[in-house]
Order: sequence, then structure tokens, then C-alpha cells
Amino acid sequence: MPLVPGVVSGLGVTFKEIVKTVTKGAETVQYPHEKEDPAPRARGVIALHEENCTACMLCSRECPDWCIYIEGHKELAPPRRAGGKPRQVNKLDRFDIDYGLCMYCGICVEVCPFEALFWSPEYEYSEPKIADLLHDKTRLGQWMETVPDFEPYEGGAEVKIKKVPR
Amino acid sequence: MTAISDRRQLAYIAAQAADARVNVELEAEGMTLNIGPQHPATHGTLRIVARLDGEQVIEADPVMGYMHRGYEKLAEVRTYPQVTTLINRIDWLGSFANEVPFILAAEQLMDIEAPPRARHIRTILFELARIANVTLFLGDMGVQLGAVTPIFYAFRDREHILNQIESATGGRFHPNFDRIGGVKDDLPAGWLAETKQSLGEIRKFCDQMEDLILGNEIFQARTRGIGVIPADVGLSYGLSGANIRSSGVDWDLRRDGAHPGLAYNDVEWRVWTHPDGDSFARYWVRLQEVRESCLIVEQLLDSMPSGPIMAKVPRIIKVPEGEAYVETENPLGVMGYYVVSQGGLEPFRVKIRSASFSNMSISPWLLKGTYVPDVITILASLYFILGDIDR
Repeated sequence: MPLVPGVVSGLGVTFKEIVKTVTKGAETVQYPHEKEDPAPRARGVIALHEENCTACMLCSRECPDWCIYIEGHKELAPPRRAGGKPRQVNKLDRFDIDYGLCMYCGICVEVCPFEALFWSPEYEYSEPKIADLLHDKTRLGQWMETVPDFEPYEGGAEVKIKKVPR
Repeated sequence: MTAISDRRQLAYIAAQAADARVNVELEAEGMTLNIGPQHPATHGTLRIVARLDGEQVIEADPVMGYMHRGYEKLAEVRTYPQVTTLINRIDWLGSFANEVPFILAAEQLMDIEAPPRARHIRTILFELARIANVTLFLGDMGVQLGAVTPIFYAFRDREHILNQIESATGGRFHPNFDRIGGVKDDLPAGWLAETKQSLGEIRKFCDQMEDLILGNEIFQARTRGIGVIPADVGLSYGLSGANIRSSGVDWDLRRDGAHPGLAYNDVEWRVWTHPDGDSFARYWVRLQEVRESCLIVEQLLDSMPSGPIMAKVPRIIKVPEGEAYVETENPLGVMGYYVVSQGGLEPFRVKIRSASFSNMSISPWLLKGTYVPDVITILASLYFILGDIDR
């Protein structure tokens, strides 16, 4: 038999917690009224920087459940130097991400070779209808404003900090 | 309503006869009690068909497979980097731990070794996943015994660890951070110091649980000597993890089978065992393990080497022909991946040995002869996660 019965020391724990809650306030956050800031790396929603996208389809192919839909066409752009041949560029017609299917794995952002996709920690985009979760390229482009700058790394890291195009 | 067709009459007679048969069965062989598939005490959709004699269980039969999602088959049509996204969802409370053995198996096939910094980050996240997982068990066990307070403390203090996982990986539950040859990204500035702080919170939580649950006389009366698993029986059923360590078997793959892709050999810690093998021992061992995990993470944070986080890996990952089996000590027990590759982009076959499936398979033996209220505590102390059983 211990000196203090277990039930009593257990009640001591809950009593201390009550005192803590009364003096320092509860840990619960009353969500719609007050919000916590998610971490800058948090995978909330994918933003599209349309100027960088070349419709190369890499993200669409690497997606584990294939929820990115891309259509594009080739266009002739004026030559860079005078007297040169006109260049062929890819133009984006359609870039949709179906957030009803998305698993938020971040592979598309990782494989993008032209830095056109970015994670934003924004999370409030739920819809009453599941079809509305299909974000088209204008909606995805609007998320670009919410993309935070990349954080500096911990000491000893050799990775270079990337920049977000604005 | 006089004219009832012959067919209707026959059907009516057959139904009456079937009813009568059930009644006879009830009288002859005791009552059949269905626990689940939807029951607050079964952690998801597990069904246990228990035959009762009074309040004693004569026979218990777990029915699994309500949550089967076919990950082994899905992995066959996805490339190696895509598979980690899926297998995150097997044991959803300690997601990062699911990725590790698969990535290690692929690394073994490709003959790639992760750089030391990546190994450290990987091991830290592995242990954080363990803490996040087992912390919830420590509170959940109280709920199964009728004490509601501990689960609130568990959810509150787990948040410290989840926040750290989120700020490093971007995902609270599904990090998808492990890559073949290293990890996805380096840690953000200030992460090491913050993690140390949150480990302090977890240590405080462990002390609270010791006072609140472990020392409680009612808890001890309900768990001591209940659901005893002798070491030889446990081993023959393939039990692993804390379940077998609480039966006195000193076996931990982190120490005994440490994989070169993880940094467990660089730290000092000990494996806790308990001689009793009952529900109380299983709770006690897990509580000590959370503390030991805090110790491991603390040492790894202090000795974080500098350098790259990725080995040289081709852009398109093709795994050479061959097969590999790698198992690690996951929060729930030993988890292993048997990966067969035929040299393509996708694995040819992935066999997942999940800990909970084996831990669950002892339940028919264990539940025989116990009383109905003890069924819940025994199942809770075995600690399985349904996604891990059915995968």
C-alpha cells in the first residue's frame, strides 16, 4: 500500500489542471471565432503560378490518384532576336485540381521542374457541393497571394532556400 | 384475407422453423454476443463474436476485414514515390513509421545509403510518430475502463508532437516525408529547440498518467492478472512490440536488428520489459517506452550532424530486379515490407506484415474464459489500430 492512495494522487492531478485552466485559461481554441496559425509548411491548398507552367504534364502523371487535369496547345511566339525563327511555346488551356480526390501528398509540388506549383497553408475552402471542389486555374492562381515565403533552414543544412515568384 | 398462396404459406412455415432453431441454439450453447462492428470500445470497425456462458466468454472470434482497402494491390500500380502516400494511411496514428520500412527496403534493393543527417531526421520523426501514437493509447486505456479524463489530456499533449511534425513535414497525420535516399526537405530554423520543449510536455504528461491511471487502485484491480500472455504462447502467435516485451521477452528491433538506414546505434537507451504479461504490464511498458523515446529524440537532436539530406538518386526511380524484406520496430509492433521488384517503375509485389494483425490473432486464445467487462480492457491493452489490421 503506497503512502498516498492512488485515487487521491489522481485527484491531485485533475485538481492541478483545474487550477491551471482557471488561472492561465483553457487550451481549447473556439474555432470560427479565433484561429490558430498553421505552420508555414502546412499543406493546405495548392497554388498555381500560371506564367511558369508549360503544360509539361509531369504533376498530372506523378499524382498518385491522378486528380490534376491539364490541357494545353502549342503557339508560335515572336522570335527572341530580330531575324530569328518564331519560337514554339506551350500555352495552358485548362489546369484543374480536384480537391475531392486530392490526398495532399505534395508530389506534384515536388516534381514541378518550373516552380509553378506551391503549397499554401490556407484551409478554409470547404464547399457544400463536392463538384465545387474542382478548382480551375483562375481559382488556383488566386491562392498564390496566400503562399508564404520559404522559411530559413536549421543550422547545418546544405539545402538552398527557394524563392516564391510574386 | 383468406387466400394465402401455397408459396407464402411455405415461406411462413420456413421462417417459423428458422426462429425455433435459433431459440434452441440459444438454450443449448449459451448466448452469442456481437461486439461491434460499430462499438465505441473497438477502435473502429472490428467485430467480435463472443459466445457467452452467463458472463463468461466460452469462445471469441474476431471478424476482420471491414476496413480492407487493398494497399498491397494498389501499390502494384503506383511508382515507388507514390506508394509512400498510400502506406501512410495504414497505421494512421503513427503515419511516418509506416513509410520507413518500405523506403528502407527500396534503398536496400537500389543499394543506396542515406546521408547521416537524413538518417537522424528520419529517426527523430520515427520516434515522434511513436510518441504521438502511444500517447493516445495511454489516455485511451482510461476510457476503456470508464475514466474519461485521461483521453482529454492525451489529445491535448499529443498536439505538441503533431505541431512539430507539421512544422517539419507539412502534414500533421500524413507526413509523406521519407524518400528513397534521404528525406524530402531539411528542418526549418528553430525546430530543434521547439521539439525539445514539446518533449518536456510529453514527460510531464507521462508523470500525470502515472499518478492518474497507473497508481489508481481501480485500474490495478481491473488490469492486474487479467489477460495474461505467457512468453512462449505470445511468441507462437507472432506477437511483437510492447505486447511481447510485457511478457518478459527482451526483444526490440531498434536495438537487436537496427537497420543501417536508421540512427539507433548512435544513442544510449534501454529496452523495458515486464515479467507479468497482463494488461497492467502492457500499459506500464508502453508508458516507459514513451519516456525512452523522449530520451532517444533528445540525444538525436543534440547530435544532429550537418551535411546533405539526399544521397545521389536518379530522377526517375527504377528499382533493380530483386526482393527485399525489411522490418522495423513500429509503434504497434514489428512492421515489415516484402518488396519484389522486376526492374520496373512499380513494385511487382508488396507484402505488408502489419503488427496489429498478428497482435489481434491471439485474441481467441486470450479471451477464452474471461468475463465480458474484461474483454474490453484486454482488447484495449493489446492496442491495435484497425487500419493496421485490415490495411
